[in-house]
Amino acid sequence: MPDLTVIADQKTVTSEHRWWHRWFRTPGELSELGVVGINMRNARFLLPNNPRCLYELVDNKLRTKALAEEQGMKVAETYGVVRNPHDASKVENFLNGNEAFVIKPTRGSGGKGVLVIDGKNGKNFVKPSGAEVTPGDLRNHVTNILAGLFSLGGKRDNALIEYRVLPAALLTALSFQGAPDIRVVTLHGYPVMAMLRASTKESDGRSNLHQGALGIGIDIATGITVRAIHHGKPVTTHPDLGIDLIGVQIPEWDTILHMAVTCQEMTGLGYLGVDIMIDETKGPLMIEVNARPGLAIQMANGIGLMKRLEPVVEQHRCHPSADLHAKITFSQTHFRAKLPPART
Amino acid sequence: MSAQSKLLTAVALLIVIGGGMAGYKSSKLGVPFWQGDRVDEWLIEARVSFLATGRDVKARLALPAIAMERGGGQESGSLDYSFSVEDNKGEYTAFWSSGPREEGQALYYRVRFKEGLDSGGEPKPAFKKPNPPDVPRLPGSLGAAATSIVKKAKNVSADPDSLFVNLFKQINSAEASQEYLIVKRHYEKEDSANPGIAMGIDLLGLAGVPARPAYGVRLTDQNSGQAPVPLIEYYDGAFWKVRDPAEPSKIPDGREIFVWHRGGGALLDDVTGGENSRVTFTVAKDRIPLATLTDLRDSPLLVSTILALPVSERAVFRYIVLIPLGAFVVVLMRNIVGIATLGTFMPVLLALALLEIKPMVGILMFSILVAAGLWFRFLLSRMNLLVVPRVAACVVIVTLLMMLMSVVSYQLGIDAGIKITLFPMIIIAWTLERMSLIWEEEGKRNAIVQVGGSVFVAVCAYHFMKVSQIQYWAFYFPEMLLILLAGILLIGRYTGYRLSELIRFKSFANA
Repeated sequence: MPDLTVIADQKTVTSEHRWWHRWFRTPGELSELGVVGINMRNARFLLPNNPRCLYELVDNKLRTKALAEEQGMKVAETYGVVRNPHDASKVENFLNGNEAFVIKPTRGSGGKGVLVIDGKNGKNFVKPSGAEVTPGDLRNHVTNILAGLFSLGGKRDNALIEYRVLPAALLTALSFQGAPDIRVVTLHGYPVMAMLRASTKESDGRSNLHQGALGIGIDIATGITVRAIHHGKPVTTHPDLGIDLIGVQIPEWDTILHMAVTCQEMTGLGYLGVDIMIDETKGPLMIEVNARPGLAIQMANGIGLMKRLEPVVEQHRCHPSADLHAKITFSQTHFRAKLPPART
Repeated sequence: MSAQSKLLTAVALLIVIGGGMAGYKSSKLGVPFWQGDRVDEWLIEARVSFLATGRDVKARLALPAIAMERGGGQESGSLDYSFSVEDNKGEYTAFWSSGPREEGQALYYRVRFKEGLDSGGEPKPAFKKPNPPDVPRLPGSLGAAATSIVKKAKNVSADPDSLFVNLFKQINSAEASQEYLIVKRHYEKEDSANPGIAMGIDLLGLAGVPARPAYGVRLTDQNSGQAPVPLIEYYDGAFWKVRDPAEPSKIPDGREIFVWHRGGGALLDDVTGGENSRVTFTVAKDRIPLATLTDLRDSPLLVSTILALPVSERAVFRYIVLIPLGAFVVVLMRNIVGIATLGTFMPVLLALALLEIKPMVGILMFSILVAAGLWFRFLLSRMNLLVVPRVAACVVIVTLLMMLMSVVSYQLGIDAGIKITLFPMIIIAWTLERMSLIWEEEGKRNAIVQVGGSVFVAVCAYHFMKVSQIQYWAFYFPEMLLILLAGILLIGRYTGYRLSELIRFKSFANA
């Protein structure tokens, strides 16, 4: 069992610069920082808490959405689901007259195969970047999704057509094209860490950190951004837009935490990451649940995940039946970040 | 019992069982633990196979007198046959018999002897002077041609040895004289299997030198199931000598060839109760003395079964036992070092191919194959094909590329090119498929990093599998794989950092 006193009594971590920090950090330093590695994540948090049989609930976006709607959670409205090649040739019938929409594979991961359409220009569809997509291209894209081009292991898949989120202006200001999303990682339903992912020119509208997107750490207690990284290095302003990234208040933060905890309750997965987008008019929408959330979030926050996970393990052991509000309160009181000076 | 203690118990158990069995085999049964103190012995296995016709079966196989007399050890293996060795004045014959049999039958006879021992073809004094050879009856012009050949050869030869050399140099030569060609054509019609041997024996007979066929086995463990090598034994006036007609001037070298049967008579008497009978030989360099091996078979150790297999079947395991070693390297590289690879065990298969081809050449060919395949794959992707047809199309393209590369490298005189077929084709097709997807989704840098990672891991696995001591352990102490298994289980519970993560998190600064 982890000893809470050790964690509470945080020693001053060797923040002084050593010559080798240019190339690597020693395992001792990393574990002192509480950094969780892949092996640790898999062996201590994923395998024991996420039973294989529950993965289907989150790997299939249709099932996740259905579950979320049962819980009264707000999700992007589904316009239609293309399930067979015959329907793919008539994909325009599934749009229900909407000109802006998103097509994605129901079993995709990491944003693969997601096509965003903002509107129409004559017969053609227009992407956010301004590039045009012909109806033929659209049908081909749907056929590729059905063939399993974007799903794990090339399994056959369905194409989901849904509402195109219009991100809140506050967030679009932080992102070069693309829609920024918020990732909240929870363990046993306790939110442990959160970050905002914003695209850059380099990441080309995508929000994958290793492709050059920004990871912006968010304080769990207040929903204010505290830190940002680009390619693993701390930054304070957007590399393309020059805008300040730190000290931004994420709107409706309590709703977001609420959503994250509900996702844990509805799926039963012990360790997961919830992706949420904030719509200008509809507010926070749950986009997807990830049963294998990555480790970059700890870089974005500048805090090792272990420092958050161990107190949660201990708390969960002592109070196995804590309710949603108790969990949120626990996280908000214990995981308060040092806030940067407020923006004026 | 917690998961942790279960794991530790399993690991301890595996190490005790694996180590204990290896220790027992090494100390009690005398199987050398280090490859250095091995005993180099050749093991030749004769396999008589035939199709039984449903009647009583009897088979006789001539045995090498030298191995019987000097005693390296020998044994027979055949299910439910009664077996005996007949000794007829120094000529030994294995005799198998059984009741009515059906379908394909295989009889084995194994002989062992130390490396460097005589070939068995040494000059042997005749007990009594052999009768002058029967003069072969050759009709008309053929007879004249043969006589003329012999006369010419005799003129330039001092003794039966040089006569033998001269005759066979001519027979083997592509530009033989007209007379040789006539006689050769006759023998090719008469005896299609070994025209040269029959012709040589007859010509020696014409010259008054008694000669008869003998049979040998080439000492190479490259090809299993080799046919007996036809040799000639001739009498030089005092001794019977065995020579290889393919290399007439060379005295048989005991390190290259073993004379299985001499002294006239057939190697395999016609099998009664069977048809299509034939003998094949498999040669292996064995590292365990025969006496030990017999002990092993008698001991209740299950693990010795691999050594009880016929040599020809055992050869398959030489590569199979290496696969777990490669898998171990992959586990090490992925979970401890943290190198991303394309496909989990693709590097193992690549490493196996590298064992056959030289690694530099192998990697070069692999790169060319992947680069060319990728280019075709991008052409294909414009056609919006479904996944399975697209991979199948890749398989076709990879096949054609392999053929093309083989032909081109053969024309250029690089014979390693022919071995390109050792690359697992389906694996390459999938590599191309996944690589092109990563290329499109995550950029070419990621795709190249992952393929490079796979090749790097494959080279590491290759170097690990190539260590002959490790090959030796895997083959002769397969129970040591249990220790490897224990190691893999331990790594399976390793929760520390991967080496790559030490670099990934280098700029981790505490907020």
